[in-house]
Amino acid sequence: MSRLSRCIGALKRTLLSPSRGPRTLSIAESIAAASEAPGALSIAGSSVASRVAPRLVSGLVLSSMLVSAKVAAHDVAGSLDAIGSDTMAELMLRWGEQFEEQRPGVRLQLQVAGSASAPPALIAGTTLLGPMSRPMQEDESAAFIERHGYAPTPVVVGKDALVVVVNRHNPLSRLSRAELDAIFSDTLACGASESIERWQQLGLERPGGTIHLYGRNAVSGTHGLFRRRALCDGEFKVSVMVSAGSAAVVAAVGDDPAGIGYAGLNHLNADVKAVAIGNAEDGILPRRQSLRSGGYPLSRDLLIYVNRPPEGELPDVERAFLDMVLSPSGQRVVKELGFVALPPSVLAAQRHALGLAELPRDGP
Amino acid sequence: MKIPGHTAVGMPGKRRTREGPLAWLAAASVALSLIMLGALLVLLSVKGLSNFWPATVHQLTLKGGETVIGVPLETRELPSRQGLERRYLTANRDDGGGIWRWLANDQITEDTTPEDLVVLERRHWGTFFGRLVALQSGDQRLTGPDAWTVLESRLKEINALRDERRRLTHDEILPLIRSMEDQDGHRSEDRRLADLQRRASELQQRMQGDLVVLENGQGRRQEQALAEILEAWRPNAMAWHEKLGHWVRELWQFLSQGPRDANTAGGVWPAIFGTILMVLLMSILVTPFGVLAAVYLNEVAHQGRLTRLVRIGVRNLAGVPSIVYGVFGLGVFVYGIGGSIDRWFFESTLPSPTFGTGGLLWASLTLALLTLPVVIVATEEGLSRIPLHQREGALALGATRFETLTRVVLPMATPAMLTGLILAVARAAGEVAPLMLVGVAKLAPQVPLDGEFPFLHLERKFMHLGYHIYDAAFHSSDVQAAMPLVYATALLLVTVILVLNLTAIFMRHYLRKRHGAPVRR
Amino acid sequence: MLLAVVAIAVFLLVEVLPLFWPDGASFPLEALWSSPDVSGEPEYRWLPHRLDDAAVPQASLAPLLWGTLEAAAWALVVAIPLALGAAAHSSLYMSPGLRARLKPTLELMEAMPSVVLGFIAGLALGPWVERHLAQSLSIVVVLPAAVVLLALGYRWLPDRLKAALTLRWAALWLIPCLLLLVWLAMSVAPMWEGWWFDGDLRLWVEESWGLDVQARNALIVGLAMGFAVIPGIYALAEDALSDVPRELAEGAQAMGATRWQTLTRVMLPVALPGVFSAIMIGAGRAVGETMIVLMASGNSALMTASPLDGLRSLASSIAIELPEAAPGGSHYRLLLLAALALFAFTFLVNTLAEVVRARLKRRFTRRKGDA
Repeated sequence: MSRLSRCIGALKRTLLSPSRGPRTLSIAESIAAASEAPGALSIAGSSVASRVAPRLVSGLVLSSMLVSAKVAAHDVAGSLDAIGSDTMAELMLRWGEQFEEQRPGVRLQLQVAGSASAPPALIAGTTLLGPMSRPMQEDESAAFIERHGYAPTPVVVGKDALVVVVNRHNPLSRLSRAELDAIFSDTLACGASESIERWQQLGLERPGGTIHLYGRNAVSGTHGLFRRRALCDGEFKVSVMVSAGSAAVVAAVGDDPAGIGYAGLNHLNADVKAVAIGNAEDGILPRRQSLRSGGYPLSRDLLIYVNRPPEGELPDVERAFLDMVLSPSGQRVVKELGFVALPPSVLAAQRHALGLAELPRDGP
Repeated sequence: MKIPGHTAVGMPGKRRTREGPLAWLAAASVALSLIMLGALLVLLSVKGLSNFWPATVHQLTLKGGETVIGVPLETRELPSRQGLERRYLTANRDDGGGIWRWLANDQITEDTTPEDLVVLERRHWGTFFGRLVALQSGDQRLTGPDAWTVLESRLKEINALRDERRRLTHDEILPLIRSMEDQDGHRSEDRRLADLQRRASELQQRMQGDLVVLENGQGRRQEQALAEILEAWRPNAMAWHEKLGHWVRELWQFLSQGPRDANTAGGVWPAIFGTILMVLLMSILVTPFGVLAAVYLNEVAHQGRLTRLVRIGVRNLAGVPSIVYGVFGLGVFVYGIGGSIDRWFFESTLPSPTFGTGGLLWASLTLALLTLPVVIVATEEGLSRIPLHQREGALALGATRFETLTRVVLPMATPAMLTGLILAVARAAGEVAPLMLVGVAKLAPQVPLDGEFPFLHLERKFMHLGYHIYDAAFHSSDVQAAMPLVYATALLLVTVILVLNLTAIFMRHYLRKRHGAPVRR
Repeated sequence: MLLAVVAIAVFLLVEVLPLFWPDGASFPLEALWSSPDVSGEPEYRWLPHRLDDAAVPQASLAPLLWGTLEAAAWALVVAIPLALGAAAHSSLYMSPGLRARLKPTLELMEAMPSVVLGFIAGLALGPWVERHLAQSLSIVVVLPAAVVLLALGYRWLPDRLKAALTLRWAALWLIPCLLLLVWLAMSVAPMWEGWWFDGDLRLWVEESWGLDVQARNALIVGLAMGFAVIPGIYALAEDALSDVPRELAEGAQAMGATRWQTLTRVMLPVALPGVFSAIMIGAGRAVGETMIVLMASGNSALMTASPLDGLRSLASSIAIELPEAAPGGSHYRLLLLAALALFAFTFLVNTLAEVVRARLKRRFTRRKGDA
């Protein structure tokens, strides 16, 4: 039923204006636009695509990097919608690019408005893929169940972490969670006895003076996650310097010997130093190992929520896309963008849960 | 005729010359303002243009015996104030994650610039610094200097192939598919399509196959597909004219290509295009309104309390902060009008909005409102400069007031209107705050103008030079990596705006010369 | 045009009003100013995104208003002396040829896009000043002092040099002098930093005055925004001074007054309303400026008087938060209230300035007509 209405909707759209929503990023065209990339086909409007696709499929092969793409691509021509997180925008774009290479003729249409935009779109059936950088909240999944009668399926596609960073010359190497909270918040919800304002309070000679705090703006998911996990749901000090992006936080800390801030793992660079979180003996640095094992307290999963009925299967396009994401080549993209790829065991479990074929032992 | 204040000039001996220190401070303040302007422009030009110059790559040996290959960038004092440290761009992101190293000067024992160091620009994992060991083409394996010469020629070939294939898809296959969509397609066209496809895949195949073997600073070897490499050069072995050629090429790529690597590499073409398109649309919207309003105010309306009030209103409009226009645009155009359009025409796509979110149309409308006062004021000034006797002459010859207006006054005021329009365009091109609310996008590879019907997609988001600066400086994955491009973009934006403003200034100058002082205000 | 002004006002009012209806707002209206913290003390916090789920809603506009005014004030501190000095110099001393070129040059300065200024201030100038605090301070102290010394020493210069270096062209030949002074000031800075401040001014300032130096602070914002408003104030003030009937100035000089005396005693009192309106318009621009504050200020909603702390303004809050606020929600309406405040403020300031200017202009025209 929902598919039928989507079809009609798509037809209407084509009549009025063949382009899709305004926030749409089309992979095919992004590739065509970036001149170093191979040219690619774009088909106007998904309904048109599905009408002419079978005839064109063999033609679309040329637009792929891999000439080896089979005519099996027949049934996966059309468009693939994804609405959700902006943290994962770059990731989705790159996956889309790769998918286009493997399955020519499929165009990923991505809208990035933040994680919060994924659940409504999944519920309304506008999309079957909802990339999110946080798990769905209770009320969001409840609304989904109410509408569809079953729960949405989360697929973990990579790991990210928030890193507490200080200037590269700062001797600080470890903070306990109470200290971290005492530095950033004045609510002290994690059990510290007094607020930490100066570096001397941490027993450091250098850098002297007041601790300069850098953070993200309130609407960002990074801000929310740090507040919930590191501040134990407390509130930030008002003196936190707010930047509109994580990269700006890292740059500011890199310029300020007395600065401390937090940012996503993929923003880490040589200007700053990551600080281990935990008590003296078990301070944990955000390394691949600790993130995979879940030992690092400020880690998060990067998820794609899918609308998959318990008895049924995913439509072919979505299925093929997830197959690619959960393959070694898909996970390489995760690594290239500075996130942490999934360990093989988790990968295998995910694939099994989705009913995908097992990976060959010695992947490419 | 004596001019007040200029009597003592040039006669220091005769006149009282002690004006006191305050007069000198006043003179210094002019000088200081000019210095600040000059410093800003010099900073932008130097930082913006030097980025494209192929920098010398150094090979450093550290105290522990480690070898590092990198380009030295900024130097800073260590916080202990004992000695200096320097930032090196070491690239090779696939080799450990980072692309920077900070090295204290006393850590380095040897600093050389060997000629055989190569720089490779790659499609993935960014730039590579290191050495070329071998080029493997099929069964053939080339090493030594031969490898480099063959690499250069192969890269040229591959780039030509890539261009050829892009041309094929864009100019032949896409139009063919579009025409096949329209009619139901014939056998002959099918065959032609298949033919084209075969040609393209042949091109594709010819690009593949070659491998290069590379060696990084530590001597570790890796293989790299040649098709992944966009460009290769050996900066330490280049003569200055080769460097100049490289610089020009890079500059051109910056202007003509799309961004790569999350806006930290590549060019700004989509942003240039978006800015131009938005400004054009805005001009179409603002000119008729602005000119009509000015003509009405200056020529038609009774000059009294009301027109004075309206003029104050216009100046007021010019003083309203641009962000307030943005809020107005978001509330009224996007959520109000756009939301209604969505409910009436695009119900099927809800809840994902079509017009009910920022887009090109709303941005142009908002900026048109923002620049309206600029056009009105300039046009009015032009109209008021037209001597009264011109109109009187026309009227005396029997022209009606309307004819006087359209045949005499308006043609004479055209340069003034153009001046106003140019100033409005300059203002709009530099304005960012309202755009953040009504439709600019971080990355919109889908340009609002393309070959798909109806060709101009007013509801799409677009990229903008000014916003690109803000975005790359704050939102890119690594600010330091994006910095050179931010400077270059800022320089581009400033240049465009300065050129527009200078044009307007010269036009106004010319007008004043022709018509003299304003007749009435 | 009136229609557009009215439309903006009406739209903002309509959207904001529900906040003030008895059951329109989901939080007590006192929260707009301050709210009690744990110990009952009033606290000024801007946390509008948690209005609906926080135990104590905190959406104090006070720090934003404070930040807006603080930034504007510092911008005016930078801009007023420079702009008025430049206006006085160019209307009294400067050679007409130079003056005709100076005006468009300063116009170019005004056309500089604010996003570029903000970028330079926030990412280049701010960190540089933080690292080179002593040098910056040195420049600020040395430049005016040296110019005063230059003025005092001027009369002992040999006549030939004097003939070459007149006040008429001072704006140009002072440029290399000032650049030299800047270089001098920077090179002596480490010396006196070592003598008086134990080699680290930043630490010294913090320990003895309790002032903490942030890389993105109100002074940097003030400097960048000052740069942006100088040309506007200059143009209007210069107009006001040039509109003063020349008989007045000639009369004063005939009585033996120096040009500076003519300016301060005769012309300035007459042109004062015009100069005042120039400053008002500059203030209006500074209050509403968005990108500079957004990029150079650090956006921490603090209420401190220290010019070395960060700040957050109404305009930049709107710019970052509005795209994410759900239309119709409390957060959205609060931000619109902020926009309304900005609109009302600039509207008042501009109207006042316009009225003053128009009245002044009429007075001069009438007098000219009488003569």
